[in-house]
Amino acid sequence: MESYFKSKWLPYLLLSPTLIILAFFLFYPAFETFLLSFYKVAPYGNRKIFAGLFNFKQMFSDKDYIYSFTLSLIFSVTVVLAGLTVSLLIALLLNQKIKGARVYRSLLIWPYALSPAVSGAIFRFLFNPANGYMGYFTKVLFNIEPKWLTNGNLAFVVVIVAATWKNLGYNIIFYLAGLQNVQKEALESAAIDGAGAVRRFRAITFPLLSPTTFFLLVMNIIYSYFASFGLIDVLTEGGPANATNILIYRLYRDFFVNSRVGYAAAESFILFVLVVGITILQFKTTGKKVYYQ
Amino acid sequence: MKKSALVFLVLFLAAAFVFAGGTQEKKTGKVKITGPVTIKFWHAMGGSRIDLIQGIVNDFMQANPNIKVKVQYTGTYNDTLNKVKAASKAGNAPQIFQSYDIATLGLAHSGIITPIGDLTKWDPIKWDDFFTPVRNYYTISGKHYSLPFNSSTPLLYYNKTFFKQAGLDPTKPPATFNSVIELSRKLKASSLKLKAPITWNLHSWYFEQFHCLMNAPFVNENNGRGGKLPNKALFNLEPGQKILSWWSGMEKDGLFLDVGPGWANHRAAFGSGDVAMVMSSTSDVNQLTGLLNKKGWEMGTGYMPKPEGATGGVAIGGGSLWITNNHPDQELLAALKLVKFISSDGPQMKWHKGTGYFPVRKTAMNKLKAEGWFKEHPNFLTAFNQLLASPSNNNTAGALMGPFPEARKFIQDAIQKTYAGTPVKQALDEAAAKTDKAMKEWNEFYK
Repeated sequence: MESYFKSKWLPYLLLSPTLIILAFFLFYPAFETFLLSFYKVAPYGNRKIFAGLFNFKQMFSDKDYIYSFTLSLIFSVTVVLAGLTVSLLIALLLNQKIKGARVYRSLLIWPYALSPAVSGAIFRFLFNPANGYMGYFTKVLFNIEPKWLTNGNLAFVVVIVAATWKNLGYNIIFYLAGLQNVQKEALESAAIDGAGAVRRFRAITFPLLSPTTFFLLVMNIIYSYFASFGLIDVLTEGGPANATNILIYRLYRDFFVNSRVGYAAAESFILFVLVVGITILQFKTTGKKVYYQ
Repeated sequence: MKKSALVFLVLFLAAAFVFAGGTQEKKTGKVKITGPVTIKFWHAMGGSRIDLIQGIVNDFMQANPNIKVKVQYTGTYNDTLNKVKAASKAGNAPQIFQSYDIATLGLAHSGIITPIGDLTKWDPIKWDDFFTPVRNYYTISGKHYSLPFNSSTPLLYYNKTFFKQAGLDPTKPPATFNSVIELSRKLKASSLKLKAPITWNLHSWYFEQFHCLMNAPFVNENNGRGGKLPNKALFNLEPGQKILSWWSGMEKDGLFLDVGPGWANHRAAFGSGDVAMVMSSTSDVNQLTGLLNKKGWEMGTGYMPKPEGATGGVAIGGGSLWITNNHPDQELLAALKLVKFISSDGPQMKWHKGTGYFPVRKTAMNKLKAEGWFKEHPNFLTAFNQLLASPSNNNTAGALMGPFPEARKFIQDAIQKTYAGTPVKQALDEAAAKTDKAMKEWNEFYK
């Protein structure tokens, strides 16, 4: 690619503020965390014992950790797939010329503006075991009251739905922008050639959306691994009996509640490696199939 | 950068040495507050309690014009502890902070606090005035570590109106495990539209308190109070099994409503008439009375139910005030004066009336009695009598262990597992094994 800059150093100069901030607030702490993961640290930091790989061994020999690991995987896959599918469908609907489209758009993007804790609180109102609205509706309509948050499987479903819903607005914005860039000419000529709506979507719209989809895939995986902790803290506290205790929530508890600093550092290192690994893998595989206009 | 940090550290250590030497000498002598002193006080009491605490501190500053106190609400107990930890590392810890009961052993070994017992030679505190259970909780091997502040125990609340409607005696709340089941069956069979007759929130606190009621230790080494660090959980033995069998048995029979963790759902269920009985903290008296009044229902209170023949009593929970270390003597003295003031009769009576927490001193309680406060508020009296009926020993003082917050999570997991069908013994054994492991790891730091 041809350079836009006359001086060789100008681009680096322009990048430097970001890099300096990243170095201080991201790279240095990440490096410190990595070092800490080889230590056992007393809860108030007054003692530090070098422990080699102790924390890592401990972690992978803990059945509960492995359980959380699997749970996170299922959680992530479900949230990403459900999130992308639903938001693409909604974006397709929103992209039509209907009355009040702008109003619908604003309303559907809204959930993204809420903090995780607030959306957690909303879902808690809905599914609260004592007097939640959902319990009331199902009672009136079907005369059953499912234990939404106190049954392990149901609680996991509720958490997945909440996490998907929370990120819907973000995905919709990007899909909507992507859809508006799809060339109308291509769609029209395909229609003239006799291609139905489904065919047009599969052959034209979806491939042209692939850069958006790929970007959202990466962002959503990061979201599902890192950003759903507030939601879980408010909704279930990782329960019932660990049923919603995904890696990021376990990490939060181990550091901030249990004060197991070294162990938590090891956990965060593994989580970091995992997400970076998945992202690289995606660039190597899915990324190659992306069609850039 | 590394080098300058090192130089700084060396200088700091050298300075600390000099100061430490000085402090040691001075501590035996007299300290006086000569000039204006400013101290910081961080607490974990939100809502209307922020103003209440500020008001008490303002009274203190008026009486001690030389001392300026900066009060700060720093979030939950856990948030506060994390902030204190961080501030200690940075060298600007607050002189006083509030912490929850279960951090006691951890803080005692943290290296960031000054035991109150080490300071009282400057300004003695009359410990005999304190309620024995309150005082015992924060005493380890005879040494006072922190000053009891907000103290509470569980209490049984019941809907008298519902009791009448179901044909039960509204003056007789259930006192034992069996009578809870018996009355719950009757309530369930009645025409009341209850989700279940009784509930309390998912919290290990109740499980711990039932052990105190049964006079059974929770961990070894004299319930963690014998001077040695405990390393074996005992809550999976017979008493623990008996408690959980009863508890989750009621859940299975539809007598107990599982409302999950947190402190809101069980209150809401009681307030909306979905349950007829609830267990919660004594500091909820005002709130729950209000909720029931709104619906025109009458509320009663009773002691926490015991298993048949149990001989123990409730342990005091809640929080206490800690003084940190590495401050000049004058600041430490100022901090001591403030915590002493907060624990004195006037502020304690104010605190009790505003929140429902117990006053920590017998003298304050006697004054409240003389005022006729308990005639107007009989439910507060139930809480007191329950506490006073509690015998004093290591088991009823409540357990101490290093990784208590972690253990609580294991226990709560175990309780939820029994709801889902895991046998009680298996669930508790698993929680105990995990707790043992956590204690072993924790104890390693303090050998």
